[in-house]
Amino acid sequence: MDQKSAGLNITIFFCQQIDPDQDTNRRALEKELGKRIRFFPLPCSGRIDPLHLMGALESGADKVYLVTCPEGACRYQEGNLRARKRIAYTQGLIEEIGLERERLELIITPAGNPVTVDELARGLLAREALIGPSPIRG
Amino acid sequence: MITAERKPLSEIKEMIAPYRKILVVGCGSCVAECASGGEKETGLLGSALRMDAKSSKKEIEVKEMTLDRQCVYEFINQLTDVIDQYDVVLSLGCGAGVQAVAGVFPKVHIVPALNTTFIGETKEAGLWVESCRACGDCKLGFFAAVCPVTRCAKGLFNGPCGGSRTDRCEVDPDVPCAWQLIVSRLEEMGRLDLLRKVHPPADWSKQQGKGPRKIHREDQST
Repeated sequence: MDQKSAGLNITIFFCQQIDPDQDTNRRALEKELGKRIRFFPLPCSGRIDPLHLMGALESGADKVYLVTCPEGACRYQEGNLRARKRIAYTQGLIEEIGLERERLELIITPAGNPVTVDELARGLLAREALIGPSPIRG
Repeated sequence: MITAERKPLSEIKEMIAPYRKILVVGCGSCVAECASGGEKETGLLGSALRMDAKSSKKEIEVKEMTLDRQCVYEFINQLTDVIDQYDVVLSLGCGAGVQAVAGVFPKVHIVPALNTTFIGETKEAGLWVESCRACGDCKLGFFAAVCPVTRCAKGLFNGPCGGSRTDRCEVDPDVPCAWQLIVSRLEEMGRLDLLRKVHPPADWSKQQGKGPRKIHREDQST
């Protein structure tokens, strides 16, 4: 069963440099899925803070993605490298409370193959649901 | 700066287990600089505790608050209006902060969320290194501002030991030899003459052996 059919709540933090029209492109999906999908554009994926990721999980997200631009293509040099470290740090924190580290995932967009944020999100929703609803959701 | 690291969550949970209303209190000074007890870390711990309780179907109430300093009464006093609403205070201050808060509110159980580790400096983003043992008898003026007691693995006042290899300490090759640094710096300053002085063993009575130390300045008193 894919993640959309499984009814998972998905939160996507993403570097807005990957899709200049992200504001428009994500509207249809937001309208279709309502609160089940939440997008958070970041000026750079390096802006992510473990507090954002924890906040998303605490607010009921079953799966949280952090989408970065391709490696070596960060407009701010090293933002996507920091993003990777922060995901890893936060995965350690959620493991301490018994959550699977897979609830947080880093997605690096491929170089030379630009995607819009809605295409990317639909691709993620179509992935097989390897985890169930979060126990935090209640 | 005083550095600290967060305790494992299991240890924190054990200490707060009997309580339902928990106030997590951060400190905006040293432990914020070393990313263990500032506003962000206080938020992270609060969030982790709430999620942990929810996933184990336990009802607790966790709120966060960060003081500019946990070791000064004027800042601790900001807890006065709220502390009665909680069963326990989980402090992300250093050991001094925890004790200072407990001293102001002796009837409230104050428990530490951090292990206080050392006095050190921020070397680079995410790296803190011990540089002072607070011995109470500073001799940095003789040693080109490199503390041999703290930074030499053997704590030699009259070094070097002769065991360093390519400027690195023989005890830990990741650490620069403190005595190599001392000699190089004194050479650059043209003050190698300072090495002629033979230093007697450190007077540790100024650091320990008489209970807690205190500094009292009459001119600063009210």
